[in-house]
Amino acid sequence: MDELELLKQDWKKQEEVLPRLSYKEIYQMILKKSSSIVKWIFVISILEFVLWASLDIIFRFTGLHAEVQKESMGTFSLIGSILSYTILIYFIVRFYLNYKKIQATDSTKVLMENIIKTRRTVKHYIWINLSFFGILMISTTIYMLFFTNEFQKSASVETPIWMIVLSTLLVTLVFIGLIALFYRLIYGILTRRLKKNYKELEKLEI
Amino acid sequence: MNKELEHSFVTNLEQNQNIVHKVCRIYTSDPDSHNDLFQEITIQLWKAYPKFRGDAKFSTWMYRVALNTAITLYRRSKRSLRTTDLDSIDFKIKAEEYDDEVEQQLKLMYAAVKQLNDIEKALVFLYLEDKSYKEIAETMGISEVNARVKMNRVKTKLKKILNP
Repeated sequence: MDELELLKQDWKKQEEVLPRLSYKEIYQMILKKSSSIVKWIFVISILEFVLWASLDIIFRFTGLHAEVQKESMGTFSLIGSILSYTILIYFIVRFYLNYKKIQATDSTKVLMENIIKTRRTVKHYIWINLSFFGILMISTTIYMLFFTNEFQKSASVETPIWMIVLSTLLVTLVFIGLIALFYRLIYGILTRRLKKNYKELEKLEI
Repeated sequence: MNKELEHSFVTNLEQNQNIVHKVCRIYTSDPDSHNDLFQEITIQLWKAYPKFRGDAKFSTWMYRVALNTAITLYRRSKRSLRTTDLDSIDFKIKAEEYDDEVEQQLKLMYAAVKQLNDIEKALVFLYLEDKSYKEIAETMGISEVNARVKMNRVKTKLKKILNP
């Protein structure tokens, strides 16, 4: 293509009109902080971990936990707590290892893959939490409906059982839906351009 | 030690800053975005510098980090998201060196390059920098064959932009 050759010739001449920074100006630049996407991903991911990890603490402080204890579900909730912290630690470790792998000196493709992998770790963590929440809500309702007398008595008088089950299911679904939507939004904003470019790069593979 | 490292880095970058400026020219459209991207590339280069062993040329190593920053790491401001029209291209073509027709053609070419997507810009940039397909492939993390295929597609795309 002749035009591109022409451009190549002119390209070399462009060097003469490029800006020129002094030693001091460049030195000033290395003292400043980065505002790269990786930094944002790191901060937001840590916030997400903190938020989900603190749910258990909030649960204890608001007295909900005591309520569960009273309902003789203490062992159940203890297992739940141990499980959720194990999962949290597992994901934080994986997140950290993936994060450490992100290096600007890798090839473009490897760099993109490592960033996407890091972000995906957090995404999986959120999904596991949402599933747990769903299972917990449903199993708690079933437990209360069929295994506790107090609940059965009051329920049968005021509202039919199917109504309770249905409304619990609905509330759970709406809650999960909202979080999923919110999450997609953050995830989308953070990685839209990255994913677009990655796809573009992948398209090369025949 | 740190001072020494700082000094060798800044000296190296000062001597090779043209590479970074050229990447900024391809990816941004106004002086503010240019400076912004230059700043971020400098930080990324500095962060990676302790691992720079000197087994590669400093300039070769720079291409990778600079392009990676422009394509992936840099968070673009809204300004640079807009594609440029002909009037705002910042490549200065020295009119006295060319006749009118060639000058116009060059202007159109630069404007066309600006319309390419991030990956295509990187390919064109490396091509203009006289890099071999092997080097282009290594920088992008794709096979040499794919680099050739993609470059041909970019050429076709440029032709289409120029002759719609």
